[in-house]
Amino acid sequence: MVKKHQIRITVNGEEHNLLIDPKKTLLELLREDLDLTGTKEGCDEGDCGACSVILDGKVVNSCLVLAVESDNTEVVTIEGIHRGDDLHPIQKSFVDSGAVQCGFCTPGMIITTKAMLDEIPDPSEEDIKHYLEGNLCRCTGYSKIMDAVNVAIRHSK
Amino acid sequence: MEKFSVVGKRIPQRDALDKVKGSAIFTKDIKLKGMLYGKILRSPIPHAKILNIDVSKAEKLPGVKAVVTYKDAPQVKFGIAPIWADKLPLESEKVRYIGDEIAAVAAVDEDTAREALDLIRVDFEELPGLFDPVEAMKPGALAIHDSVENNISRAINMECGNVEEGFAKADLILEDTFSTQAQSHSPLETHCCVARYEPNDQITIWTNSQAPHPNRQRLSLVLGIDASKIHVITPCVGGGFGSKIDLDPSQVICILLSKKSGRSVRISHTRQDQFISTRIRHPVSHELKFGVKRDGTIVAKQARVIMDNGAYNSHGPAVLSYNNVMFSTLYRVENIKYEGYLVYTNKNWGGACRGYGDPQATFAQESMMDMIAERLKMDPIDLRLKNANNPDEITANKVRITSCGLRECLTQAKEASNWAEKMETKSKYRGLGVASMIYTGGGSIGSGFNYSGATIQINADGTIHLLVGATDIGQGSNTILPQMAAEVLGVNPETIRLTTSDTDTTLPCMGTFGSRVTFCAGSAVFQAASEVKKILLEEASETLEANIEDLELKDKKIFVKGSPSVSVTFSEVASRIHFKKKKTVIGHGYYNGPEEIHEDFDPVSYLGYPSPAMVFATHIAEVEVDPDTGKVDVINFVAAHDSGRAINPLLVEGQIEGGAAQGIGWALTEDLQFEKGKIINPNFHDYKILTIKDVPKIIPILVETIDPNGPFGAKGIGECAMVPTAPAVINAINNAVGIRIKDLPATSEKIFNGLKEI
Repeated sequence: MVKKHQIRITVNGEEHNLLIDPKKTLLELLREDLDLTGTKEGCDEGDCGACSVILDGKVVNSCLVLAVESDNTEVVTIEGIHRGDDLHPIQKSFVDSGAVQCGFCTPGMIITTKAMLDEIPDPSEEDIKHYLEGNLCRCTGYSKIMDAVNVAIRHSK
Repeated sequence: MEKFSVVGKRIPQRDALDKVKGSAIFTKDIKLKGMLYGKILRSPIPHAKILNIDVSKAEKLPGVKAVVTYKDAPQVKFGIAPIWADKLPLESEKVRYIGDEIAAVAAVDEDTAREALDLIRVDFEELPGLFDPVEAMKPGALAIHDSVENNISRAINMECGNVEEGFAKADLILEDTFSTQAQSHSPLETHCCVARYEPNDQITIWTNSQAPHPNRQRLSLVLGIDASKIHVITPCVGGGFGSKIDLDPSQVICILLSKKSGRSVRISHTRQDQFISTRIRHPVSHELKFGVKRDGTIVAKQARVIMDNGAYNSHGPAVLSYNNVMFSTLYRVENIKYEGYLVYTNKNWGGACRGYGDPQATFAQESMMDMIAERLKMDPIDLRLKNANNPDEITANKVRITSCGLRECLTQAKEASNWAEKMETKSKYRGLGVASMIYTGGGSIGSGFNYSGATIQINADGTIHLLVGATDIGQGSNTILPQMAAEVLGVNPETIRLTTSDTDTTLPCMGTFGSRVTFCAGSAVFQAASEVKKILLEEASETLEANIEDLELKDKKIFVKGSPSVSVTFSEVASRIHFKKKKTVIGHGYYNGPEEIHEDFDPVSYLGYPSPAMVFATHIAEVEVDPDTGKVDVINFVAAHDSGRAINPLLVEGQIEGGAAQGIGWALTEDLQFEKGKIINPNFHDYKILTIKDVPKIIPILVETIDPNGPFGAKGIGECAMVPTAPAVINAINNAVGIRIKDLPATSEKIFNGLKEI
């Protein structure tokens, strides 16, 4: 039997103390141990960005982070950016701009956009493309995602 | 123009709210009590006889709850139609490609299941692999499927008019060969299913299917269990593009594992599983011969086509027929000859993939059209206008065209792309390219079926419930179908409760493919809504003592035209019908058309292809080629589409933009590469779908011809959106640097080498 590790992790403002299998990824911890299934697994090898979360202020592919590495960190997932029924402005702009089709890449897209805007409040088109390059979308051709990000930028000003 | 209150509005997707919050439930988000995790053992060899399968060690591994092989499965082959059925859920005698299903394990976690797979021993007798369809179809080649001569699964020979006479009249004859590569659908969500088997063969399966009702029917055939005992539920689907229409072996295997273990089981494909075991776009080679007059009139065209089927049929036979229909129907040509072969090889099997054989045909034909324009020194758009299809025509291959906006697509795309000026002032390494297309805008009844059902019930309190079998895989049917019902009933679409894609509660729907849901499910919804409207009006006419013709519906009220105060609410009317008349307010709609099928319809070649409506489009790409690396950047892109009336322009644009991006990917980077039958790039690192950096702003143009038969004049949009993209890009590359790419994709390497030769 593999020895489990005790970790303390704050997810969306809530602290959790968990016994974790050392092979487990942060993505698995979120989805399986905390039932936060909004974070998606698209490839499990860091290529698609569907599992993006914000870890200590930086966006990461949660499939590439071991759960034990997230000991003593703060994580924000898609479930943590709106308050009750009030959508975050980025979530609202994604809905209104038609940036959501199948919706599987959407949580990752929104999380990455949030991390970008937290860091650069007024990003250039190049900045946006640089940040979102690691988030693949197969439905939209990115046109309406760009629209949504631009609307969110305008609203956050 | 007719005034609508809801149809034609840019309403955001109904499901988007849950999707942006992360609360939308996809199949993999479902966790049942005691659920086990299934893994499938796949063939590592492209072609072999199975001599023995020993699962004894795997069964003994702690944590393993069930191991299944062909011995646990009925030996019934499945396919899209009984005549094409060639696949067992678990193979018993032979494997035919790397990825073929041999055995499966259900265990307490995925790691244990994976470990158990390593303990299964399979003895093979290796057979020579056939990887090239040209080799595979040679007489005497080893048969991949017993009974299939020369490995040819379907052959089509069709001639309309007389091509020899046509070519004799031509001023110019051009011949060339164009080939296309395998593309992976790559929806962001991989295949997944959760199955629960209960005593007496009661089965529930949650699965991300594009077609839950046909899935149920095929599961019923394969398992020998009544369809009424099988409940297929489709949660949110993370994209499909054709890959999730078929019954997948994993769905059957999941049920077998649940039956054997007595527990619910989930099988979720890894990205690698997705690449190596789900359908792909068929690679095709087209040998074309075109004859034209000096003025650009095409007098004859001929194609010899070899389509690489891979190991099993899936949709292959129909894809070949579509390849013919779309090749033959685009442009007004009297003399057409098509010879096509669908050939088995020991590679991943092709299937339905956005465009269904049409992108391949259109790449070939639209490349050829550009080469003709060049030889005739004609503007490529003028050449296409010269031969464009017209509305209300029956083509040489007996296809009925009703609404048709091809000419408008060409002229509007020309204008929006600033074609004339840019062609005049063309700079080095920059170029423009155009391509057009035809596709179905409402599926087809060629297989005998094109069904979609809808039910609307009005509860006693006046609230509305719409139930449809159609599935939203991201395209937006959950938004536009209530929009159509709302338009008929004069209500806000948000107030309509919606149930979809559940085989126990919805009327059958053939599924989400063939750009058919807007047209077919939309027609059913229109019919169902009209029926409940009639019931409500009849009752209201009694209450209000007014003629039905004098009544109107708005905001869940029925009132006398011109006297809004003389009104009765839906709730009052529904309550009276329910409790006084003791009747329900239910309307059903069922579409299965078109009614009229050409007397010469041939189910093999699809001569006389019976579609309720055809759609048209023109794409214009502007590219820039980097002379140092050969890299192509698409810098501007215009896509004009005639898809009838846009029920929701926001969503129509979304389909066009996404389709074009997929098409640019297929043109430039997407290439499933094989080495002796093995896919060598089964991940997003090596198989390049485009990122936000690679896709230009797509300018969608909606050419809204109003179709005479579509609901509110609408036609389909989903599949056609990527059909003319690749040839537009390839023609633009030729315009930019004079390099004619005849085999997709146009990699930097090919362009770079081409530039060296100039």
